[in-house]
Amino acid sequence: MKRLLVFSLIFTSLLLSCEDVIDVDLPDQDTRLVVNGLIRVDETEPYVPVEISLTLSSNFFEENVPTSAESVLITYEEIEDNVVINQGSSTLAETSPGSGVYIPDPNFSSDQRIPTTTLDRDYVYTLFIRHQGRLYLAQTKYVRTVPINSVRQGTGTLFGDNETEIIVNFTDQPNVDNFYLFDFGFGEYLVTEDEFYQGQEFEFSFFYEDSFETGTVLDISVMGSDQTFYNYMDQLIEQSGDIQGPFQTPVTTVRGNVFDVTDLDNIDVLDNVDQPEVFPLGYFALVQEEKAQVTIN
Amino acid sequence: MHSINRFLPIFFFLISVLGIAQNRYTISGTVTEASSNETLIGVTIAIPSLRTGVTTNEYGFYSLTLPQGTYELQITYLGFEDIVETVTFDQNRKMNFRMTEKAQILEEVVVTENVEKLNISKPQMSVNTLAVQTIKNIPVVLGEADIIKSLLLLPGVSNAGEGASGFNVRGGAADQNLILLDEATIFNSSHLFGFFSVFNPDAIKDVKLFKGAIPSRYGGRVSSVLEIFQKEGNSKEFKMNGGIGVVASRLLAEGPIVKDKSAFLIGGRASYAHLFLPLFDVDNTAYFYDLNTKLNYRLNANNNLFLSGYFGRDVFAISDNFENIYGNSVLNLRWNHLFSDKLFSNLSLIYSDFYYGLELDFVGFKWNSGIRNFNLKYDLKHYLSDTFQVNYGINNIYYTFNPGKIVPNSPDSGILEEQLTKKYADEFAAYVDVEHSLSAALSLQYGLRLSHFIRFGQDELNVYENDNPVIFDPFLLVYQEATPIGTVSSKRGEQLASFTNLEPRIALAYTLNPEQSVKASYTRITQYLHLLSNTSSPTPLDVWTPSGPFVKPQILDQYALGYFRTLSEGEFSLETEVFYKDIQNRIDYIDGANLIANNAIEQVILNGQARAYGLELLVRKNEGRFKGWVAYTLSRSEQRTPGRTPSFDNGRSNRETGINFSNWYSTPYDKTHDVSLYGSYDLNKKWRFNTNFVYQTGQPTNYPVGQFQFEGLTVPFYGLRNEERLPDYHRLDISATLTPKKNDKRKLQAEWVFSIYNVYSRMNAASINFRRNQDTGVNEAVRTSIFGIVPAVTYNFKF
Repeated sequence: MKRLLVFSLIFTSLLLSCEDVIDVDLPDQDTRLVVNGLIRVDETEPYVPVEISLTLSSNFFEENVPTSAESVLITYEEIEDNVVINQGSSTLAETSPGSGVYIPDPNFSSDQRIPTTTLDRDYVYTLFIRHQGRLYLAQTKYVRTVPINSVRQGTGTLFGDNETEIIVNFTDQPNVDNFYLFDFGFGEYLVTEDEFYQGQEFEFSFFYEDSFETGTVLDISVMGSDQTFYNYMDQLIEQSGDIQGPFQTPVTTVRGNVFDVTDLDNIDVLDNVDQPEVFPLGYFALVQEEKAQVTIN
Repeated sequence: MHSINRFLPIFFFLISVLGIAQNRYTISGTVTEASSNETLIGVTIAIPSLRTGVTTNEYGFYSLTLPQGTYELQITYLGFEDIVETVTFDQNRKMNFRMTEKAQILEEVVVTENVEKLNISKPQMSVNTLAVQTIKNIPVVLGEADIIKSLLLLPGVSNAGEGASGFNVRGGAADQNLILLDEATIFNSSHLFGFFSVFNPDAIKDVKLFKGAIPSRYGGRVSSVLEIFQKEGNSKEFKMNGGIGVVASRLLAEGPIVKDKSAFLIGGRASYAHLFLPLFDVDNTAYFYDLNTKLNYRLNANNNLFLSGYFGRDVFAISDNFENIYGNSVLNLRWNHLFSDKLFSNLSLIYSDFYYGLELDFVGFKWNSGIRNFNLKYDLKHYLSDTFQVNYGINNIYYTFNPGKIVPNSPDSGILEEQLTKKYADEFAAYVDVEHSLSAALSLQYGLRLSHFIRFGQDELNVYENDNPVIFDPFLLVYQEATPIGTVSSKRGEQLASFTNLEPRIALAYTLNPEQSVKASYTRITQYLHLLSNTSSPTPLDVWTPSGPFVKPQILDQYALGYFRTLSEGEFSLETEVFYKDIQNRIDYIDGANLIANNAIEQVILNGQARAYGLELLVRKNEGRFKGWVAYTLSRSEQRTPGRTPSFDNGRSNRETGINFSNWYSTPYDKTHDVSLYGSYDLNKKWRFNTNFVYQTGQPTNYPVGQFQFEGLTVPFYGLRNEERLPDYHRLDISATLTPKKNDKRKLQAEWVFSIYNVYSRMNAASINFRRNQDTGVNEAVRTSIFGIVPAVTYNFKF
C-alpha cells in the first residue's frame, strides 16, 4: 500500500527526464558474506525445503561469487518460561564443493531434514554459519500466509501501452496485523500490510512493464512475513528499484537479521555498538508460500 | 526564570528612551504610485541635513518625528522620479506623496546617494530584495517568470535542481522557510512538483527574503522568511495585463470600484493540459492554475480594509488509474488603523490551507491529506522619533493537521475507510522589536519573541514502553519501530505537550563612513512544525506534523557578521557576510523509514542536530545600461543524530550507535561552492538582453560500495550517508526582450521575450541510479537529467 502511493512521485519525474548510462568510479569496500536464507514452505510437502546459499558481495559492476563455509547448522527450540521444552537441529552440507548452496546433510548418520509438522509448534529457528573464522547467527519464526483467491489478467495500463495488468484477489486474515510478500517472478516483488483492508477480501492490480506472448504462464505467489522481514524486503525493493530524480529517498545499507557474533562474549562485549562495520548481508526467514498461476491471452 | 531577567535591562533601557522625546513634531502619511494609487513599500524619506530618515512600511505608511525646524525631505524609490520637498516641522501633519515611474531613459541615471547610505546604516542584514521587474527579466525555463527560481540567483540560496520544489537558504531545509503571501503562510510553493512556483509575478508588488537577522515579528521557521505582498489594485483606472507563453498564460485585471477609494485586482494563470505528455497517447492530464484576488477599501484617512485571496491547484491524471490534485488556498482580511500619526496598526484574520488528494483506481482508494490554519495577528508600529521605532504585536495560529484519510473509491474495493489520527495545535507569539539609532554611526535593532506552542488532545495517541517509540537493536545495529503497548484518547481541550521559548534577536550596524559599514546579528528562532520528508526536495505528498510528546521543536541560533560598502556613488555595491547556524532537535529519519500514510510517525523519527556555516559575497551594479550582480557562496551544511543517552535495563546498558553511526553528514542541500551571475543590458529602446549563469558543487549523494543478490533482486549497498557528490551543476541562460516601436503610438503596450534555457545543453544530473538492466542483465549507472536546452517565447501585454 505504502509503495503504491509513492507512484505519484516516481513518474512525474519520468515525464520530463532523460536518462543515459554513464561511467562512474565507485568507492570499493571489502566483500561481505551474503546469506540467502529465504525458505519458502509448501505445507502439503512432508519436509521443509531448507536451502541456504552463501555468496560474497562484490563491486556494483561485478558479479557475486559463491563461497563455502566451514559449517552451517539450523537449530530450533520451543521455550516456555525460559525453559527449553522442545528442540531439534539440522546440519547442512554443501550440495557440491564450491557451490555455496547448503541443504540438510544427506550423508549424516541420522535424517537431517526438518519435517513440515515441526512448523505446528512455536519454534524459534536459529541459523549458525561458521565462515572464514567468523561466526554468524540469525533467528526467525515461521510465518503463515493466506491463499490467493484468484489471479486474472486485466486490460488496464498505468504508464504505457506495453504493460500487462494482473489482478490479484486474496482475503486477509482477520483480527491480526498481517504482512505479505508477493512474488511476481522476474525479480518483481511487492510488500503489503493489511492496515487499510483488515480482514477484507482485497483486490489490487500489478503492472508488468512488458507484454507477454499469448499462452505464457505466470507464476505468482504470496508469502507470509513478520514486520521485520516486511521492512527488509520493502527496503530491498526500493534500493534495487528505479526511484528517480529529486524524490528519491536516502539510500542505506539494508541490514538483514544475520549478524556477526564472533566477538560477542556476553561478558565484556554485550553488543555490536563498538564494531558497527562488522556485519554480513542477507536474511534468514521461514515462511509459508501459496501459489497461483495465470495464463496470458 | 533567569532568561527573562537577562532581557529586563533592555526594557528599562527602552522605557528610558521613551522619556526623552519632547518638542518634536510628526509628519506621516502614505507614499503611492501616482498613476494607480498602489502603495509603495520601502520608499526612503530622507533628511540629508540630519543624515536620518525612514522607509515606508508594508502598507506604504511612514511616520517621521523631528525637532521643530525646517528640513529638506528627499523621497526616493528605485525606478521612480525623486521628490524633493521642504517641510516645516511646526505642527503634526499628514503628507501623502505620489511618485511617478521613471520614463525609460537610457542615459546614465543620476542616483541620489542617500538611498544607499541609509541601507548602509540600517542594522538589517542578511536580507535580499528583488524588484518584480528583475524577476520578470531573469531568463527562466520555458519563459515563465518565477519568483523562487529568481531567488536561487542570490547568495546563500539554492535548491535541488530542476524539477525540485522549494528552496534552501543557508544550508537549511525547504520546510524551514516561512513563505508569507500577504502575511498568510503558504505551505507548498511549487506547481507541477517543482517546475514552477505558485506565485503569479503579475500580481506581486514586493518580494523580500530574510536569510538571517530575522526581526522578532517573524517566527515559526528557522531558516528564512520570504515575504511577498500582492498588489492592491489600481484605484484610478481600469487596467489589464497578461502574457502568453509556451507553458502557461496569464491575465490580470485591476481597477477602481470607487475611484481613489477602493480597488480590485484579479489575476489568473493556467498552464496547458497535455503539454508534458507527448510521449503517451493515453488519456493523460497535467496542468495547474492559480487565482490571485484582492479588494481594498479606504474607509477614511485612518482606516483601510484589504481582502486578499489566493487559490491554486495542480491537477495530474493518468487515464482512469490515477488522479492527483493539490494546492494552497488563502483568504486574508486585514484592517489598517492609525491610532495617531505615530502609531500604525494592522489586524489580520487569515485562513490558509494546503490540500492533497490522490485517487488510485487500480488499488481502489481515494486519499486526502492536508493542513489548515486560522491565524489572528495584530501588529503595531510605533514611530516614536526619527531614531526610535518600536514594533510590537501578537499572533495566534490554530492548526488542524490531517495526516491522511483513505476511503474506498467503489463498493467492491476491499479498502476500509480510515482516518489517520488528526492532530491539533496552537501557536501563540508575542513580540517587541525596536529599531534604534544610538548615534549617527551606530544603530540597533533588537527584540524579543515569546512563543508558546500547545499540542492538543487527539483521538488516539500511542503509548510505548518507557515512552520510547523507536527501539534500537544492539546486535543488528538498526533502529526499529517500537510496538505500542496501548493507546490513549484525549479530549481536544487537553494538552498533550506544550513548549514555551524566548527568542532574542539583535542586530547592529556601525557606519564607518557614508560608504561603508559593518553589521552583526544574533537570531534565535523556534520552529514547531516539521515537514515529514526524507527526499532530497519536498513533494506535495509530504505531510506537516506538529511538535508534541515525541517530537521536539527545532531551535536555531544564528550568528552573522557582514561588511557592506557602496562604490562610485552607489553605482556598485558590495555585500559580504559570514554566518554560523546551529539547530537543535532537527528531525532525522531512521534507515528505511516509511513516511507515507504512517499513523505513528514518532516510530521512525529521532531528534538530531544540524549546523551550517559559510561566506556570502554579492557585488551588484545597480545603475546604467548594464546592470547585474555576481553572487558567490562558500558554505557547509551538515547534520547528525547521535545515539540517545544510554538507559539501564536489567543492569544492561542500552547503548546506541545513532543514525549514520553518530557521524556528521552533509545534508542534501550542502553546496560547497555556489556561483550565480546575472546581467541585464539595455541595448536600445527596442532590445534588452538578460543572461544568467549558475555553477554549483554537485549535490551530496551516495554511490554503492558494493552489491549483493537476494531472491533475484540486485541490491546495491552503501557506506556512510552522503559521502559522494553528483557531478557539478552548471548552466547558462539567455533572453532577449523586444519592445516594438509601435508601443509609443498606442495604448496597448506589448513585448516579446525570447529565451534559451541551458544554452550549451549541459546534462546536469538530477540523480544517478544504480540498477540492473532488465534486458542485458548488466549492472549500470544511469544518469537522469531533466532539461537540456529549452528555447521559449513569451508575449506580454498591458493596456
